Amino acid sequence: MTATGTAAPETTYIRSDGIEKVTGTGRYTADMTMTGVAAAKFRYADHPHAKILSIDTSAAEALPGVLAVVTQADLPDVRFGGFTQDRTLFARDVVRFEAEIVAGVAATTPEIAAEAARRIEIEYEVLPAVSDFEAAMAPGAPLVHEDWASYVRDENIVADGNTFAYHTIVKGDADAAMAGAEIVVHGRYRSDASQGVPIEPRAVLAHWQGDEVTIWSSTQVPYAARAGVAQTLDMPEANVRIVVPLLGGGFGAKCDLHFEGQVAALARAARRPVKLVFSREEEFTAIAQRREGIAMEFETGVTREGKLVARRARLVLDKGAYCGEGGFLGQMAAMHACGPYRIDHIAVESFLNYTNNQPSGSVRAPTAPQVCWGLEQHMDEVAAAIGMDPVELRRRTLIEEGAEGPTRQVFDRVGIKETLERATEMIGYGQDLPEDEAIGVAVGWWPSMPAPSGAYVHINGDGSGTIVTGAQENGSGAVMALPRFVAEELGMQAQDFTILYQDTAAANWDMGSCGSQTTFNSGRAVLAAAADVREQLLDEAADRLEADRDDLELADGHIRVKGSPERAVSIADIAADGTVHGKGSGEVPEAPPVDAGGCVGRLGNESFLAPQLITQAAHVKVDRETGVVRVLKLAAAHDSGMILNRIGADGQVFGGLVMGIGLALSEGTILDEEGRQRNPHLLDYKLVTCSDAPEMLVDWIQIPAKGAGPRGSKGVGEPPQVPTAGAIANAIAKVLGRQVTQLPMTPERVWATANEVEA
Amino acid sequence: MTASFTSAASVEEAIAALGDGARPIAGGTDLVVGSRQGKAPLPEAIVAIDRLEDLRGIRREGDVLALGTLVTHEDLVGDDTVRTHLTAIADASAIVGSHATRAQGTIGGNVMNASPAMDTGAPLLCFGATAVLRSASGEREVALDELWTGPGATSAGAGELLTAVRVPVPGAGTGSSYVRLEYRRQMEIAVVGAAAVVTLDGGAVRDARIAITALTPVIRRVSEAEAALDGSDGGADAIAAAAAAAAAAATPISDVRGSADYRRAMAEVIARRAITAALARARGEQVPVPASPALFGTQGASA
Repeated sequence: MTATGTAAPETTYIRSDGIEKVTGTGRYTADMTMTGVAAAKFRYADHPHAKILSIDTSAAEALPGVLAVVTQADLPDVRFGGFTQDRTLFARDVVRFEAEIVAGVAATTPEIAAEAARRIEIEYEVLPAVSDFEAAMAPGAPLVHEDWASYVRDENIVADGNTFAYHTIVKGDADAAMAGAEIVVHGRYRSDASQGVPIEPRAVLAHWQGDEVTIWSSTQVPYAARAGVAQTLDMPEANVRIVVPLLGGGFGAKCDLHFEGQVAALARAARRPVKLVFSREEEFTAIAQRREGIAMEFETGVTREGKLVARRARLVLDKGAYCGEGGFLGQMAAMHACGPYRIDHIAVESFLNYTNNQPSGSVRAPTAPQVCWGLEQHMDEVAAAIGMDPVELRRRTLIEEGAEGPTRQVFDRVGIKETLERATEMIGYGQDLPEDEAIGVAVGWWPSMPAPSGAYVHINGDGSGTIVTGAQENGSGAVMALPRFVAEELGMQAQDFTILYQDTAAANWDMGSCGSQTTFNSGRAVLAAAADVREQLLDEAADRLEADRDDLELADGHIRVKGSPERAVSIADIAADGTVHGKGSGEVPEAPPVDAGGCVGRLGNESFLAPQLITQAAHVKVDRETGVVRVLKLAAAHDSGMILNRIGADGQVFGGLVMGIGLALSEGTILDEEGRQRNPHLLDYKLVTCSDAPEMLVDWIQIPAKGAGPRGSKGVGEPPQVPTAGAIANAIAKVLGRQVTQLPMTPERVWATANEVEA
Repeated sequence: MTASFTSAASVEEAIAALGDGARPIAGGTDLVVGSRQGKAPLPEAIVAIDRLEDLRGIRREGDVLALGTLVTHEDLVGDDTVRTHLTAIADASAIVGSHATRAQGTIGGNVMNASPAMDTGAPLLCFGATAVLRSASGEREVALDELWTGPGATSAGAGELLTAVRVPVPGAGTGSSYVRLEYRRQMEIAVVGAAAVVTLDGGAVRDARIAITALTPVIRRVSEAEAALDGSDGGADAIAAAAAAAAAAATPISDVRGSADYRRAMAEVIARRAITAALARARGEQVPVPASPALFGTQGASA
């Protein structure tokens, strides 16, 4: 292993949530119930784009068993959204996508609620729907939001009609450099939308006590949900408590205020606890469950020796009907059109467009896998144009210590070249293969996300401990690993601790399970709280043992004098009076400085703090006659800084790789002309099964990251999916002799490419 | 919504319930899943037949293998006679749905669901299987091509219960296979499938039966394809001609699973692979069950 530094010891650890999840005794939001609980159902839009002329709820309300019917008319007139406030809880005047919620019903049974929802009479004036996200920006295209100009938005967002946000990344003079380039290569790629597909569909249970509401929700971001409920129902955050029971996955699809506000409003109106549980189809069509479709054009000027002199790119992204939390996606995509390469002159522009399609959200490394899939195929085309091996081209052009990024961020020591060597070594790059097999390689990157967090560590009177954190466990095990870190700080055992987590009443604000940030930020806070405890223990022990603090060590649940283990006091003794409590936040790392003066639409992604760097290689077999592709082996080498929990980190890569195979080969949402999904179910939206999972090899290039996460770490969770589709694509192209330019690369598209017919 | 659910204690009781308008349920993999997907509501009255031992089991009756209506796909994959003499049925049963579907789903439910995409359909048709239908007024035996009248439609009366599927067991020299286009390795549904049953006599094909799946409103045998192979040497040219004839009989639709053009092109490829595997088995060569994954990437030429 090319590793620098040392890994944390590789021990098996039993996750405290593991046994209940594996044995089926674990309780998820949909399993929760309360006395008198009512069922919620939503009435969805009947057209992807229409003006609401009238809503008549009287027939629904008259149905026996109906407890409440709520529309926007019953609620504060509040628009919300992450970067642009463009949405209300229920549609007010206009519906803009097929699963827009017009009204909610609470009834004694789900069947009655569903029947009542059907009985709500809505008069519409149907408007032309805009589903083609490139046509959406054509002059004269119908506007998805007629009042777009009046919306409250982030001051750095540049909007124009259906273009929700426009961004550029500009470095040097790309036009001049391109004109002077020895060879210029063009490429055009287009990805379909795809879905997050957490196995647990959304569920929300809301219960009021006086003017306070407790909401159990399957969210990745309880604090954002709390803020959203407070904003939309016009109440203090202190009166809103969000609790997340076990979360059955998220993959970024549960990263915003989603349905907590509507269910809370229904519960208040019904004067009962109200529970919403989504069907699989609702999960597929709901807001923010999907990745964007993206049309990409790349142009690269290169010398015959493989120096990248200029890059131009134009990206058009399908935002769908609303912002949600995904207002930054256009800028993120633009950074991925540059990639982790040294390029002197860059001009990238991206258009994040409104359409009448399902709104997109932050699905695992949002925008990166699609853009990386296009760019990495383009890079293989560049290599072919100069007659160079594609791995060699990357070897010559990847970033290194001291190199300048697309916005002149200067990189510290980074391990991407080592990941390239390691991944190609693991996969056996260069070996002789049958003519229907090939190996493809792709690289990618993803920023670490600095954010505040806070934690408490309580040492109980018996010497056991409780960790209180705002962190959210989405299944990755990131929260479950926190006791291990605290135990290491305090000379205790991980099993000495329990965790109080994902309850907004218990801990400080936390960003939630998104942005690969749990270990990075919540871990930092927990370690700071543990350090606070450690200081208190040492102070007290120094007194009791009449020893110098510097001579003490924490080990085996004791504080003892180094070299004289018999002079010791147990942590339980010190904590017996129940006064040992630590708190901590740690210092939020700062984003590195950039020179982005020429860039439009700066939302913060122009600077990549502690970039996570990845090379993946795919060995595939292609059935040319049918277009069916099987991935035989994947190798992944990542620089995520120091690895704090090898088992957990490897698990993230295994999952990301398999998810990447789906994105590459089978997962695509198919829309009709008006933006309705044609395959919103697991039969025809094809996830990868266990049987399709190939042999996977994982290794880490461990370089302590400066000014980043705890103990020199970076983020881990999102990058594993970034270059997988690109690596698979490059392998397929090697077999076929040409690129498959649409994602997913379904059997029919591969077959059409192989046989040069229109798919 | 279902108003009445009874569990029959005997076949007679089940038939009586059918006569009163109830619909039967065995594994529930079509009925329940379909209702939850909103395809069709659950029937008003349901009679469960899953506890009727008389309807279970695989029995050899002379030259016929009688499959009780409750025989599961997993049972079929594990049965020696099926694997040895009716291999195409084993191929098909081994790739239906998921492990759970195969453990729960029954041959009777599969046949009566009459889906044009059912995997066991083409093999059963090629082997000349018949359906045994029993009602209050007696029992009759119907060939499957007379039973299946359209997508999801059968000629069975409302009061008739499928009690068994009877499959003639071919003699020595016969090989068979079922091949399906598979986008992934589990949880797949047929987009294009084909079955072939061939009997060799010396070096020549004495009898050939070829049927196509998910390519026509009802699974059907293709006589032009059979004629192209029958009497031939079973070589590459004859196989290609038969596969082309099978594809020519396809009337595929375009939907989210694939375009009509792609399906038509795949019909030829898949039929060729099915015929090739059946011939190989007839010659005594080993082709693993199920055949589909084993034939992944097969580039045409005969085995």
